[in-house]
Amino acid sequence: MACSVLFHCPCLNPPTDPPPPPSQASSSTSNHPLHTLFFCEECDAIRCDRCVSVEVSAYHCPNCLFEVPSASVRAEKNRCARNCFQCPRCTNTLSVVPSDPPGLTWDTQSSSISLGAINEPPFLLFCNFCRWDSSELGIKFDKPTGLAAQLQRHEDSAPEMLEFERLKEHFATYLRAQQSSSSTSQQSQPHHRAHHTSLTAATAAASSALARDIPGVSKHRRKDKDRGAGIDKEELPIYKSRIESASLGTLGLGADEEDVEFLKKLDTENGIEDVARLEQRWTGSWQGSIHSRDLRPLRMPLHSKKSKRCPVCRHILIKPEQKTQSVRYKIKLVAANYLPSIVPLFPSLTPQGLTAAQKKALSTKGSTMSVDEGIDHPLVSMHAGRTYPFQLAFTNPLYDPIHVKLSVQRQSLPSTSSSGTTDSGSTKKVPPNFAINLPTSSFPISAYAEAWEYEDEDEEEMLLDDEALAIGGSGISSSNNTGGRKSKGGSSSANIGVIERKANVTVVGGEVVVGKEGRGDVKFNMMVSYTYRSDEPSQTTGSKGEGKTKTTTSEMKTFSFWVVVHLGSIIVREREKDRDRERGSEESLREG
Amino acid sequence: MPPKPDKFKIHSKAVVCQDVDLKGDITIGAGTIVHPKVIIYAMIGPIVIGTNCVIEEGAVLVNRRKEIMRIGDDNIFEIGCRVECPSVGYCNTVSTKARIHHTVRLTNFCVIGAGCMVVPSEDEVLEEYTVMYGKNTTRRVWTGEGKIQEMDLRRKHVEYLSEMLPKFNRLRRTEIH
Repeated sequence: MACSVLFHCPCLNPPTDPPPPPSQASSSTSNHPLHTLFFCEECDAIRCDRCVSVEVSAYHCPNCLFEVPSASVRAEKNRCARNCFQCPRCTNTLSVVPSDPPGLTWDTQSSSISLGAINEPPFLLFCNFCRWDSSELGIKFDKPTGLAAQLQRHEDSAPEMLEFERLKEHFATYLRAQQSSSSTSQQSQPHHRAHHTSLTAATAAASSALARDIPGVSKHRRKDKDRGAGIDKEELPIYKSRIESASLGTLGLGADEEDVEFLKKLDTENGIEDVARLEQRWTGSWQGSIHSRDLRPLRMPLHSKKSKRCPVCRHILIKPEQKTQSVRYKIKLVAANYLPSIVPLFPSLTPQGLTAAQKKALSTKGSTMSVDEGIDHPLVSMHAGRTYPFQLAFTNPLYDPIHVKLSVQRQSLPSTSSSGTTDSGSTKKVPPNFAINLPTSSFPISAYAEAWEYEDEDEEEMLLDDEALAIGGSGISSSNNTGGRKSKGGSSSANIGVIERKANVTVVGGEVVVGKEGRGDVKFNMMVSYTYRSDEPSQTTGSKGEGKTKTTTSEMKTFSFWVVVHLGSIIVREREKDRDRERGSEESLREG
Repeated sequence: MPPKPDKFKIHSKAVVCQDVDLKGDITIGAGTIVHPKVIIYAMIGPIVIGTNCVIEEGAVLVNRRKEIMRIGDDNIFEIGCRVECPSVGYCNTVSTKARIHHTVRLTNFCVIGAGCMVVPSEDEVLEEYTVMYGKNTTRRVWTGEGKIQEMDLRRKHVEYLSEMLPKFNRLRRTEIH
């Protein structure tokens, strides 16, 4: 289990409470990696994917990249209106090809055929991947453009469309009456009325259906007004559908001769391919044929570009560019540009420090990084009863230096009253699994600046750092000796405190003391608060023309957020105990 | 059994790049294009490749059987594919990173889609116009529609390559040890 640091988004728990302890499974939903979080500048708060409100910015066809205006999206039923189709078998894009010139066969000896004979109608839809073509369904086109319109005629005569048209006619008179009565009723709110004038009859029917009597839901009671005008629901004639629904159930499932033969064929090799798969059939709304030869090409469904807003202040957090081809964003307020990123490191578990079993675990579990880079995210498992130093690397994204202060949340275990920072084994009840020692004083992190702004000295120091860290497991002590290091706060052991400061990264060391009875994962909540100087420009009043001086009032602002640090799992000491017990029992057997 | 001595018979109209790894008894027909970084190992038995084939980079053709491995005309073996079948007909397409076992025999006009692994447990002959595609390697039969245009395109492909490849790659000529 790689060690990671996840950021807590407070959208799910009440704002003043600290986040729940990470050992509970329910806490995992509010913890996110930094790259998935947004940050709202107005509210000064972290927003995650769950709390952010999403709205569609633009629609486009994924194949032709044509941007479809939102008005025609509804008219085209969310599909591309141009020549983009999906193959019913393999969902690949279909291309429009002229059919082969008739009467020609392929002769291996002949050289190329004249081009003039090739570009001829009728045109077909052809899938390059599975070699399906629309002539199997009998769909041929006279010209290669405007295929959607040509297919529209087919679609309109489909049974579900005819059924829908009948339904609409049936309810037409009732709807017209409803619409006129609702637009004249004075109880409807202003925005509701504006809505009604722009809605079609179908949606008016839907909204009035929603407004009918549902117990427990507050509604606008308009029945006093409605009684007078229009037809009542009870007076509506009973609707008779075009096809008897009872007979529909037998379509394709009856005991006809052809169905029996179809079932027999399924047993043969590859006969099962003749049945249309569920993924191929469920886009159709009607119960169609289950033969795969009857699958029709679908128009390409549209994709949308979404923009995200803060749920509280409605400020836009993410806004993509209007152009379909560009993947950039006009507005991009991501948390990584505001919050320091935290990366956990375990320098003591370098390749030399890893036991043979751990090295094997690294290679067999298929970790993508090489063992040499095991420093970054090793599969950490810690033995119970030992102390491990670890490091957290803080990276400052702001252009100003910040001061960071950490505080570890006390673990509140259900059956113990001991404080989280004492060593284990001293209480009678269940002792805490581990204890964390981290520097409690605030430490500074330098501002982020472009790489070329750093002096050459720093670059040399940085090179030295890499070598020093890579050499030994006790790289901490050697790095403490090189110049330019600051270790703050008179800590007793060299492991706790600021280890090094490089550019805009500060590495802070801490220790985790694993209890003898510890088990489970080493996960703890930590509150990170950092202070930064924010420049607020304020304009002086009363100056005309030139010389509008701006005085900046710089104040120190503090922002704090919760973080879940996951350092790995604990290897329990039971096995050693069992071994001791076994040895003890063997000895007792021998004696006895 | 010691590997056969290298014996390459390359037609003068074939275009075989210098960087190709050939081993064993190999015959290459007229008009065939072999891109650089191809591996053709006729380990035990010989390999005979027909005319106007295109073998693209990274393709591996291996013959581990004693019998001769015959590849027909107008085939295309795309990048990264691995073919071990003892006989391949004409006008087939083996797409990128497809793998074909030595138990299968391809006939004509077959299309093996990208990434498909054709590894049946028993000997099998794929019928003409079989198409294999998808991650589960489903198969179906092609009606043959559009094949003339495709073959026409392939001929043009071969012509273009035979003009352009020699300009940018060194060619290997026939060697008989």
